[in-house]
Amino acid sequence: MKFPHLEARSLAVAMGDTVVETAPLKPTSEPTSGPPGNNGGSLLSVITEGVGELSVIDPEVAQKACQEVLEKVKLLHGGVAVSSRGTPLELVNGDGVDSEIRCLDDPPAQIREEEDEMGAAVASGTAKGARRRRQNNSAKQSWLLRLFESKLFDISMAISYLYNSKEPGVQAYIGNRLFCFRNEDVDFYLPQLLNMYIHMDEDVGDAIKPYIVHRCRQSINFSLQCALLLGAYSSDMHISTQRHSRGTKLRKLILSDELKPAHRKRELPSLSPAPDTGLSPSKRTHQRSKSDATASISLSSNLKRTASNPKVENEDEELSSSTESIDNSFSSPVRLAPEREFIKSLMAIGKRLATLPTKEQKTQRLISELSLLNHKLPARVWLPTAGFDHHVVRVPHTQAVVLNSKDKAPYLIYVEVLECENFDTTSVPARIPENRIRSTRSVENLPECGITHEQRAGSFSTVPNYDNDDEAWSVDDIGELQVELPEVHTNSCDNISQFSVDSITSQESKEPVFIAAGDIRRRLSEQLAHTPTAFKRDPEDPSAVALKEPWQEKVRRIREGSPYGHLPNWRLLSVIVKCGDDLRQELLAFQVLKQLQSIWEQERVPLWIKPYKILVISADSGMIEPVVNAVSIHQVKKQSQLSLLDYFLQEHGSYTTEAFLSAQRNFVQSCAGYCLVCYLLQVKDRHNGNILLDAEGHIIHIDFGFILSSSPRNLGFETSAFKLTTEFVDVMGGLDGDMFNYYKMLMLQGLIAARKHMDKVVQIVEIMQQGSQLPCFHGSSTIRNLKERFHMSMTEEQLQLLVEQMVDGSMRSITTKLYDGFQYLTNGIM
Amino acid sequence: MKVNLEYLEGKLESLDGEELMKIKDNINCLFQHCIQALGEEHPIRVVNALQTLCALIRGVHQKNKSTSGFDIINMLMGFDKAELCMKNLMESLDSLLCAEGSESLKSLCLKLLLCLVTVTDNISQNTILEYVMINSIFEAILQILSHPPSRREHGYDAVVLLALLVNYRKYESVNPYIVKLSIVDDEATLNGMGLVIAQALSEYNRQYKDKEEEHQSGFFSALTNMVGSMFIADAHEKISVQTNEAILLALYEAVHLNRNFITVLAQSHPEMGLVTTPVSPAPTTPVTPLGTTPPSSDVISSVELPLDADVQTSNLLITFLKYSSIVMQDTKDEHRLHSGKLCLIILTCIAEPMRHRKKAADKNLPCRPLVCAVLDLMVEFIVTHMMKEFPMDLYIRCIQVVHKLLCYQKKCRVRLHYTWRELWSALINLLKFLMSNETVLLAKHNIFTLALMIVNLFNMFITYGDTFLPTPSSYDELYYEIIRMHQSFDNLYSMVLRLSTNAGQWKEAASKVTHALVNIRAIINHFNPKIESYAAVNHISQLSEEQVLEVVRANYDTLTLKLQDGLDQYERYSEQHKEAAFFKELVRSISTNVRRNLAFHTLSQEVLLKEFSTIS
Repeated sequence: MKFPHLEARSLAVAMGDTVVETAPLKPTSEPTSGPPGNNGGSLLSVITEGVGELSVIDPEVAQKACQEVLEKVKLLHGGVAVSSRGTPLELVNGDGVDSEIRCLDDPPAQIREEEDEMGAAVASGTAKGARRRRQNNSAKQSWLLRLFESKLFDISMAISYLYNSKEPGVQAYIGNRLFCFRNEDVDFYLPQLLNMYIHMDEDVGDAIKPYIVHRCRQSINFSLQCALLLGAYSSDMHISTQRHSRGTKLRKLILSDELKPAHRKRELPSLSPAPDTGLSPSKRTHQRSKSDATASISLSSNLKRTASNPKVENEDEELSSSTESIDNSFSSPVRLAPEREFIKSLMAIGKRLATLPTKEQKTQRLISELSLLNHKLPARVWLPTAGFDHHVVRVPHTQAVVLNSKDKAPYLIYVEVLECENFDTTSVPARIPENRIRSTRSVENLPECGITHEQRAGSFSTVPNYDNDDEAWSVDDIGELQVELPEVHTNSCDNISQFSVDSITSQESKEPVFIAAGDIRRRLSEQLAHTPTAFKRDPEDPSAVALKEPWQEKVRRIREGSPYGHLPNWRLLSVIVKCGDDLRQELLAFQVLKQLQSIWEQERVPLWIKPYKILVISADSGMIEPVVNAVSIHQVKKQSQLSLLDYFLQEHGSYTTEAFLSAQRNFVQSCAGYCLVCYLLQVKDRHNGNILLDAEGHIIHIDFGFILSSSPRNLGFETSAFKLTTEFVDVMGGLDGDMFNYYKMLMLQGLIAARKHMDKVVQIVEIMQQGSQLPCFHGSSTIRNLKERFHMSMTEEQLQLLVEQMVDGSMRSITTKLYDGFQYLTNGIM
Repeated sequence: MKVNLEYLEGKLESLDGEELMKIKDNINCLFQHCIQALGEEHPIRVVNALQTLCALIRGVHQKNKSTSGFDIINMLMGFDKAELCMKNLMESLDSLLCAEGSESLKSLCLKLLLCLVTVTDNISQNTILEYVMINSIFEAILQILSHPPSRREHGYDAVVLLALLVNYRKYESVNPYIVKLSIVDDEATLNGMGLVIAQALSEYNRQYKDKEEEHQSGFFSALTNMVGSMFIADAHEKISVQTNEAILLALYEAVHLNRNFITVLAQSHPEMGLVTTPVSPAPTTPVTPLGTTPPSSDVISSVELPLDADVQTSNLLITFLKYSSIVMQDTKDEHRLHSGKLCLIILTCIAEPMRHRKKAADKNLPCRPLVCAVLDLMVEFIVTHMMKEFPMDLYIRCIQVVHKLLCYQKKCRVRLHYTWRELWSALINLLKFLMSNETVLLAKHNIFTLALMIVNLFNMFITYGDTFLPTPSSYDELYYEIIRMHQSFDNLYSMVLRLSTNAGQWKEAASKVTHALVNIRAIINHFNPKIESYAAVNHISQLSEEQVLEVVRANYDTLTLKLQDGLDQYERYSEQHKEAAFFKELVRSISTNVRRNLAFHTLSQEVLLKEFSTIS
């Protein structure tokens, strides 16, 4: 099939003024029937003209033109279709198309069809107007198209137009444009896309759906995320509408597993493009090359499998028996089933834990539950919060901890995974038994059995006894057994007192060797002093110890104890499982933080924040990627019984050391970052249990349960812009120190940078407000207030003053102190 | 047609040797027919055949208790056909056990096997078992244990059967069951075995608890926390529940032979027996040939633990420790003495460092490590068994367990947060008891071995305390305890000195203790004058603990200790050299027991017949 996208594109461009009279208003079912003969000829001539005259595109001209379009965007926004400057620039127009064609050398087939629609819609919307107006409109349309096709047009703008535009054509066009963005970029806006899909009108939904379906086909993880988000964001709808809503339908479609990878194995050997199933509009996008690549990977692995195992050959008959389809994602009936089961069992554990009264019981229960879960691993399951393809192989159950929470039971688990190239095509790793200490002797290594059978059969001769322990174990054990014997002692040289003993025994001297009792006592206290930073076990706060342990050390320790630890692609992940909590606000906060982080990075402001990944599973459950090497300030203070500054000194060294200074700088940069976040998002409930301190001195705010329009119990506490206690200021070196000034300066720079890109931030929040009952959107002024906090109208001097005021206000804020006291009284948080 | 088992068995019994020889051909024929019938499709025929075989084997044996095994084989099958006969029999049983057939049929197969294994008092004299060795049914047993449904039904029989088979001529020949058991590494199977054992033990614990509650008015009945509750201090009334030696033997063999089993000990499972409908939490992994790993299941099934907030999770080791504490309460009865001894032997095996790996990782458990519970149990044992009928053997084992644990901690630098003081004072009290009953005890035992072991435990703490004590102050406390109880050590010293200077039979043993005491005496002699002078200077008649500790801390540097050799070395546990006789006796008693119980069970198979008659 040929895809005359050139025509299609030009059709869309030109339709507004030239084709409108003759082109059918409704899109035809057959894609190639778009351009009627005579029109097609004239269109082609436009194009060839453009190509001929401007074979070399001047980027400056293009860019300038685009900027002009940008200015015009606002006009379009309001839907006011009157433009005073109706200067038709047909040449430039053609130019823009041309450049676009070059950069997207293989646009989706669908685009063509959709552009028919778009053109038609534009035309129908304006057909009644005067000819002049139509021209204006088309010009504007062209401007917009030029913007869309310019290099500046990024995913953020796409989302914004998708949301704001009321033109179905524009929406459909953007829907198609989504295919051209990098997957990772679009993934960021997935909640927005899906929320629009659920809660906005038909046209937006239709524009988004092909892209979603296409991506679901490509990636199982994407399918899962979509299904989960669709479920979670539909939950605010009324139950009756929810059942028949678009979101629910799409969710069912994904879960029904009709969106399996499009490349089925029968077609694989020929490597021919998969037959068009009709649902996938994107078969021939430029991403095809990518799926081809994966197809070839799966091909090779499948061939191999077929060669070794003839059973797997008739794969296309739906293999329902799980034994045969174990590591074959293509034939397993529902490929999302294991993962959903996995998530379900994690949630079920959380629910059961919540019924137990004490932390200790919860922890115990958690460990035994997880050890059972372990029996079912490895399986075709993965942790959606991870950034790479992998299979979960084991949950080191004894490492799991219950986190501090009053009535719910969130818990932290560590998960051992094996990284793989492609989740779908790599087979699930084989199970290695937990108790296999080392490769034990296998049956083949026991020739004695066979021999003695014959001996027995012949005569009941007695053979040398077997129950000699040294013989019963494999040879490699013997060395270890002899650790008890003195000669081998010198190997374990870490032991000083042992050393001295060894030297006597090996010399066989009968002269008594004396040791000082004081030395023994001293060694004992010294050795204990060498591990000062570990927290003490506290049955009431089991997570403190687990979180304090440096991540690398934990990884090493778990790796040592794991039967899978020797594998080179072994990785350790961790995840917090939250059951009974709505993480949609957390997800929103994560997105805003991530956006701010990239804005600050782009603007080169050294503010430090740590967005942590969120997986919304439903409206009342989810998973959180834990921040590693960090414990809450509450835990720090409780365990160390020191002020924050003293703790810094203890952990990092005295004031002048490099380590302390860099920790202090990290502290300041993160403080400034989070102060801005807290101010912009109005993050509340800022007590020390919700602020973490990592091993490098950064603070990290967690728990965004109260943001924007919601605040805890509405007690009117925490009126200050953000939390800045004297203890924090002490770490920064006091109110008059350089670091404190640096802190304020960072805040100012950060605010200016954020202001510059306000739209990118507001957009995230605004779209999510659609159809949402979340408390953070309570009231009608959430977005307006958010925008106001960027103070677009202020000069930089005024902003500086504002920062000063906020810092001052927070310092003097009696409410922060009051709130801490309140927290201490009610929750025991220091 | 139903088999008249009583008649058949009775008839065989009533015949004397010669008469029996006359009908040998008949018996041979019947035996062969039965074996053939095992392959039949119709279950009733199979049932009848199995029962007839039981009766034949039993009847012939009962008649010929004294005759050699060969004669019995001849009597049953005839020498010429025996090999083929038994091969067919074992193969049939194997396929019946592994097939997806009736559970009652499988049960009957196991009964037949148990019957076969226990017909003689001394298992090693049961020559027929040679054929069971050659035609192994080990895999069938494992399969039963690894499948939750079959494990629930037959787990107990399977485990007992395995324990007995392992003991067939274990010291004289290569027993393939020993070899195979030692290399099992399939998790599902090992867990299955562990669960069966745990279930049996906790059933015992539950029965004990019930009885105890009947006896007690309720004052001390509160069994609150898992670890703390397992020591029932008041041994005022012996509540005897029959101990289960067969299961203990199975546990011993598993721990002793299979090093993979050690991980199963710490595997959590919900407290069995407390759950009315035991839902088995173990996984359903298909059994694969040994040495290969089972394919991982793709679909995660949602097997859930029985949900009940007050069902405590437990593990085999905890259940075993509870069991041990109950058994050790009363060691007067011979059965319980044996059980208690076996418990200590199992603990000895568990305590050997090479099997500890898992525990080292366990130090991060949220609650107290299990080692602490083991130590608690040992302390409990020490303080409660100082009686006239002194169980010297058990004491030696108990101290050995503690010693092995200390050696492991020293080697691996595990610092247990354990209140060692309780152990110290228990040990000192034991020394006191030994001295005050010197004459009585010396008549029966060599008390110096025990004394030497105790003193050396102290020496471990004194010289290597830096490697495993939890805090510097615990080292101070050790000194405080020694100084506080110096009278006991002084007395011990004078006793051993007296006996080592005499030319009596204890000379050598006693002089060893004298040498071992050198550091303890040095400590006492070093600090006592310091403390006295401190008291004198400060005009205090009675120093407080804190004051003594202060003196101790101030005077460490002037104290010199002597390094002693081999404190951290011990003799590895070896069943054959030390315990062969014990196990022989134990297996004999278990055999008798199993046989007795079988007699009752096998014959009441009406249920079974009913089941199959409906099918036909």
